[in-house]
Amino acid sequence: MNVLDIRNVTKTFGDFAAVDNMSLSVREGEIFGFLGANGAGKSTTIHMVSSLLKATKGDIEILGKNIAKFPRFAKANIGIVPQDLAIYEQLTAYENVRFFAGLYGLRGSLLQERTEEALEFVGLGDKAKSFPKSFSGGMKRRLNIACAIAHRPKLIIMDEPTVGIDPHSRNYILQSVRKLNEMGCTIIYTSHYMEEVEEICTRIAIVDHGKIIAEGTKEQLKAIVTDTKEIWIGVRSEEGVGIEALRSIPGIVSARIDDGMIKLQSKAEINNLNEIIQQLIRSRADIRSVEEQAPNLESVFLTLTGRNLRD
Amino acid sequence: MKIASIAWKEVVTTIRDRRAFLFMLAFPIVLMLILGSALSNAFTDSLSFDELKLAYTLEDQASPVESYWNGFSTSLASSGVAATALSAEADGQAAVKNGEYAAYAKIGSDGIAFYGSSKLTVESDILQAMLASFANRYSLAMAAASQAPDALPSLLAAAGSGTYVRETSLTADRAPNSMDYYAMAMSTMIAFYACMSATQLFRSEKLRHTALRLTAAPLSKGELFAGKIIGSTVINFVFVIAVVAFSRFVLGAEWGSHYGSVLLLLFTEVLLAVSVGVGASYLFKSDGGSSVVMMVTQIFSFIGGAYFPLSGMTGWWVWVAKLSPLYWINNALARIIYSDDVQAMWPTLLLNVILSVLFLSLCAAFMRKKEAL
Repeated sequence: MNVLDIRNVTKTFGDFAAVDNMSLSVREGEIFGFLGANGAGKSTTIHMVSSLLKATKGDIEILGKNIAKFPRFAKANIGIVPQDLAIYEQLTAYENVRFFAGLYGLRGSLLQERTEEALEFVGLGDKAKSFPKSFSGGMKRRLNIACAIAHRPKLIIMDEPTVGIDPHSRNYILQSVRKLNEMGCTIIYTSHYMEEVEEICTRIAIVDHGKIIAEGTKEQLKAIVTDTKEIWIGVRSEEGVGIEALRSIPGIVSARIDDGMIKLQSKAEINNLNEIIQQLIRSRADIRSVEEQAPNLESVFLTLTGRNLRD
Repeated sequence: MKIASIAWKEVVTTIRDRRAFLFMLAFPIVLMLILGSALSNAFTDSLSFDELKLAYTLEDQASPVESYWNGFSTSLASSGVAATALSAEADGQAAVKNGEYAAYAKIGSDGIAFYGSSKLTVESDILQAMLASFANRYSLAMAAASQAPDALPSLLAAAGSGTYVRETSLTADRAPNSMDYYAMAMSTMIAFYACMSATQLFRSEKLRHTALRLTAAPLSKGELFAGKIIGSTVINFVFVIAVVAFSRFVLGAEWGSHYGSVLLLLFTEVLLAVSVGVGASYLFKSDGGSSVVMMVTQIFSFIGGAYFPLSGMTGWWVWVAKLSPLYWINNALARIIYSDDVQAMWPTLLLNVILSVLFLSLCAAFMRKKEAL
């Protein structure tokens, strides 16, 4: 059964189509990755699914019911974890979760029980009476999640839930996502961190210029990239590496340096490794390691859109 | 229940916002104390003079009037009047015109001719009243003496006894002193200040990113709108009640005996202010609404009598003042408090409610039209 169906949906702002005739389905029990660079139409789609915006054209269904005709039903079955923290600093963690859960019709002892349960789930049970201003960034992110799950939605939309937090909190959140999925929640997950998406998502859609340009499991997506290979070369110093010279080597599609690692994308059929190494020696780069990477989501994204996800 | 939850959230978040708390409570109380103390002289209902100068001439030196006058002048001296006898040749009227005396009296057996100063009118009026009192007593003494001539010496001797001036006031106990006035003015001003926080009622949800959660929750825009308006009105009214209570029980300000009417009027003022604030936030983009409302609120406060009483104002100023809701409300409150005129509440109350409904309807229409909040 599909939890979410988007059919030929278009959203325009004046003459600009932020989402252009998009169709997409998310099946029950999936952790669905939604990838796209800034301005690709990802947030607009999420805002339409969560009823913040109305589609200019097309239909969106939640659990088989059209959200335009049954908005309350659709809203009651969705939990939103916005990219930006959406909590009240003047309310305690408990009051925050209780307030938002109350808007979903929970009352009395059930409301109290679900509030406590949600706080326990994100590891903030002992911080229930504390105000968010005393929380770390990771704790605030976890509270942001608790506010979205206390009413036990069927579909949880998580928009960049791990932005700007420490590795410990990130791991905690990723574990929570898996646990929620095991408990029966379907999850739509957007992130700039490809490794996160690759790690937890069962199916992924790549959106660009308001359209889905690829969709499938990570294996299916990686299979798209057969004509390029990725070469990673570790250097002791980034100084004088000469990235521009590397880009001019025949077959190189893209070249960048990131934290002491030169990341090159090259046409698969051209053997240019010798030339690359010679160029680095000429520029007196101190090479530490050379390895050819198997295709990953980043290379898939780059191949399909011609840009990095973080551009 | 969802409306109640939203209203509760509004109340709690505002109470815990230290800046709002200080602005809505400490600010009016401090202003009340400063203005109430600094401008207390402007509200006094008594006048004091160093000395009342009276010039006189006695035309008939030998008549009983001279004896009676001598007794009277003793009494005048003890009342702070310096009575100076002028020679027959002196021009008393010119001396008054020159400002040397507040009045000049020419006393003869057939009566008193009185010339008062047109500059020192209050002093002149008091002296006129004293001389009228003297003339009446003298006539009475002469009438008694005509019936009992033996009593004449004792009647003349009595001229210096008793008082010739008694202060009376029609409303001495029912006029506000400076603290009473500023307790009322600051309470109505702070009630109207609710419009400033109201401009942020929906915008703050956008800034905190909670607008997305609220819109995604299964509640209608109407429920959200009602909850926020109710919450904001309630908490701002609580602030006003606290200011009124402080002024009444700590500063001893006069609020009359019709507390229900006073509070009802203040409640409708808060509702009007919240409606105006929310309306402005829909009419002007981003922070434009806040800036406009802040400016308008200051102007309304100034012309509406928040910082100084308007009782002495005349002409165009009164017409300008009438544009301010604070003017209508202060006037209605003053009539309820000092004249026990409870009926004075109704026109202002109805005007507040009608304008509130008008603004809120416009906001609801705007909100329904917009996709997001």
